[in-house]
Amino acid sequence: MGNVIVWIVWVLAAFSCLGSGVAVVSFSNPFYSALALIGNLASLAVLYLLLSAEFVAAAQVLVYAGAVMVMFLFVIAYLGGRADAPWASGPSIQSVAAVGAAAALLVEVIVVIGLAAGGTLSSAAKVPSSFGSPAEIGRAFLTDHLLAFEITSVVLLVAAVGGVILGHHARAGTPHWGSDSR
Amino acid sequence: MNGPGIVWYLALAAFLFATGMVGVLIRRSPLIVLLSLELMLNGANLALISFARHAGNLDGQIFALAVMAVAAAEVVVGLGLIVAMARKKLTLDVDKLSILRG
Amino acid sequence: MTAAGWITLFAPLAGAFAITLAGTRIGRRTAGYIATASTMIAFVAAVVAFVVALGKSPDSRSQLSTLYTWIQAGSYHSGFSILVDQLSLLMMLIVTGVGSLIIAYSLGYMEGEDEERRYFAYMALFVFSMLLLVEGGNLILLLGGWGMVGLSSYLLIGFYHQRASAVAAAKKAFVMNAVGDSTMAIAFFLLIKYTGSLSFSALGQPAGNRWVLNIVALGLLGGAVAKSAQLPLHTWLPDAMEGPTPVSALIHAATMVTAGVYLIVRCNAAFQAAPHVQNLAAALGTVTLLMAGLIALVQVDIKRVIAYSTMSQIGYMFLGAGVGAYADAIFHLMMHAFFKATLFLAAGLLIHALGGEQDIRKMGGLRKLMPFTYLAFLAGGLALAGIPPFSGFFSKDPIIASALARGGWFGYTLWVAGLAGALLTGIYTFRLVFRVFLGEPSAFVREHLHTEHGEGPISMRWTVGVLAVLATIAGFIQFPPFWEPVSKWLEPVAPPLVVPTNAQEIGTLLIGVTMGATGILIAWLIYGSHRFRAPAASETLEQKFYFDELYDAIFYRPAVWVAKALRRGFEEPVVDGSIAEVVIGTRDAARWTARLQTGLLRTYVFAIAASLAVLLVVFVAVR
Repeated sequence: MGNVIVWIVWVLAAFSCLGSGVAVVSFSNPFYSALALIGNLASLAVLYLLLSAEFVAAAQVLVYAGAVMVMFLFVIAYLGGRADAPWASGPSIQSVAAVGAAAALLVEVIVVIGLAAGGTLSSAAKVPSSFGSPAEIGRAFLTDHLLAFEITSVVLLVAAVGGVILGHHARAGTPHWGSDSR
Repeated sequence: MNGPGIVWYLALAAFLFATGMVGVLIRRSPLIVLLSLELMLNGANLALISFARHAGNLDGQIFALAVMAVAAAEVVVGLGLIVAMARKKLTLDVDKLSILRG
Repeated sequence: MTAAGWITLFAPLAGAFAITLAGTRIGRRTAGYIATASTMIAFVAAVVAFVVALGKSPDSRSQLSTLYTWIQAGSYHSGFSILVDQLSLLMMLIVTGVGSLIIAYSLGYMEGEDEERRYFAYMALFVFSMLLLVEGGNLILLLGGWGMVGLSSYLLIGFYHQRASAVAAAKKAFVMNAVGDSTMAIAFFLLIKYTGSLSFSALGQPAGNRWVLNIVALGLLGGAVAKSAQLPLHTWLPDAMEGPTPVSALIHAATMVTAGVYLIVRCNAAFQAAPHVQNLAAALGTVTLLMAGLIALVQVDIKRVIAYSTMSQIGYMFLGAGVGAYADAIFHLMMHAFFKATLFLAAGLLIHALGGEQDIRKMGGLRKLMPFTYLAFLAGGLALAGIPPFSGFFSKDPIIASALARGGWFGYTLWVAGLAGALLTGIYTFRLVFRVFLGEPSAFVREHLHTEHGEGPISMRWTVGVLAVLATIAGFIQFPPFWEPVSKWLEPVAPPLVVPTNAQEIGTLLIGVTMGATGILIAWLIYGSHRFRAPAASETLEQKFYFDELYDAIFYRPAVWVAKALRRGFEEPVVDGSIAEVVIGTRDAARWTARLQTGLLRTYVFAIAASLAVLLVVFVAVR
């Protein structure tokens, strides 16, 4: 019984994931694309829960969908959501080649997975119920992967500084880099 | 593990990645390109989490968290660039932004 | 004795090095003093060696001293060695003695010149090179000295390098000498092949058939002819007068041009094995002495007259060596060094006092205005004309007598030519003396002569004085047939092939003096007392027998044509063209590769994606 429910949830989440993914690259209005991505993120969070990654799922929703995407939406709103019609000019050689490359990659990966399905990927390990809990994640971060933790913090700091700098001169009102002088 | 085996998750992740790649290669608006990039990253995250579950090792989840943080940082800088471009009245079209042409 | 020989060799080199390394840190006069001192040290060492040699018995006077093995190639080896023997001692004395006097003279003559230090360094280098030539213990070192004197000559002729004519003259001298060098090289190759060594003793055992012997001797003669400016390689010597006057005195009168004579005497065994070549040497010398004497009759540049006179006198030396009178030739070489240097340096006094003027048509009446110079010139001129008791008298006529002693129609012809040459010598020498010194001072002289501080700086006057005295009295060393110490001294090294009888000697002496005196008389009648007018100079004489034009047509023009054709046909299309092709090719490749840089984000990402797809397949396949 539990298995069936899990399957159903999985199918629903998977399809919404796929659909929203395709929607992201298809809409001409960036606003709609962003919304589709939010949906994608939510479906992914469900899938993470199925994979015993509760903390990651929560972080996904809070941080990714909650903060990053909101920032995206703010910028799109600021920029006025300029439309971009991707399918208007018919299939050019570039788009055909691009789709071809992506398809090739997809096929290759599926083949590899299929080849390994009977062997390495046959049975999942047994995990305790605390697998993926915040306590375990925290322990891992602060013991085995302390360096990654710290470096990630530095990366975030750099990004924050970069963001401030990129947005800075609009506040002062005088552009720095050479365009016109006041 | 209940439900589909790991193979299904991985296939889904591959599909997400491929879709994101198509978006990056085809779309002309840099905003959409960034969004597609996010899609690719999420596909990778899904694969990571799946493997973590399969191997019973938390390292995959840790990695996925780090990826999320870096993705956030990258989005900040990317959007900052786009805003700066818009302020300079440049057309937001990656095909037109080719000053580095050799 | 050989220790002194080494000191003689290296002292001038040390001087040249010192001046070069000190550069502008020393004053100009200091450089001159260094050069003079180093050559005088060399002279003292040569005298010491000579005195020591005098004390030894005749068989032990020849000493070879080797510093180290210089070349070792298979069975051939040469040491860096010097040979101090009777012949080289005489040459060393002359080179260092006359050399140090002339360098001392240069202290005054070259004063105020811009590049005195360079001059003195070159002069010291030259003295070293000449000493290497005469002291060299084997033919390789002789060749080394040979080449270096050629180099020094080039550097010094072209000393006034801003003058295009000087540079051209230097090149001409060098190129003509190179012709001689190449014939010598051929001779050396054959010597190595047939005797396996280039030592002087190897020449004493000639090996190979008649052809080889002749070619070896011919090669050596070629070098001698080029270096000594004999026909046909003589045209460089008059042009070499572009150099400063002391250079003309030292290099182109007293020492370098006599190296050819030294070579023949040193290698007399090789020439004896090839008698036809030796006859050729005598013939060339004779033709040169007549030709040069004739040309000297019409020259108007004072230095050119003396240059042609040098050419003529060396012709006498070749004549002597050619008939086998080696000691007579060397003795004439020594006396010639004295009186020719006197003439050149006295001419230098004139030129210096007249502010650089060398045209005798502008001069006249300098006898009362520059009496010291007049006396020196007279001493040199009388020696040159062979009037007793001046030195030329003792040295020139024995050579002519040896021609007589050789006999045969060849010997008689040479004898007559030699005596005719004596007549010409008297005429052209005293034409010069009378035109420059006698009569009333010309307008030019009245305007330009500066003798406020005496006729010249003290350094110029005392050296000319010494040389003039030597030109007057040095002849008494040897007076064939009465006393002949020089011939006896040289006999172990270069035994004469012919010995004239007393009758031949004295007869030739008398006729020779008469010829010389007659020449002076003719010159007096035309240029002194103006009783007769000079005959119009023929165009051929004025153009120096058209040799320059001949060589220009035969050698220079074709060479230039070939060079131009090669440039057009080969160098430009093939050499330059291939490089241009490389450039164009590289540029095109770069331009084509640059097309990869589209500047579009999408292209780059696509490239990444495509390569990723390919690599994935590769990785999977490999596993």
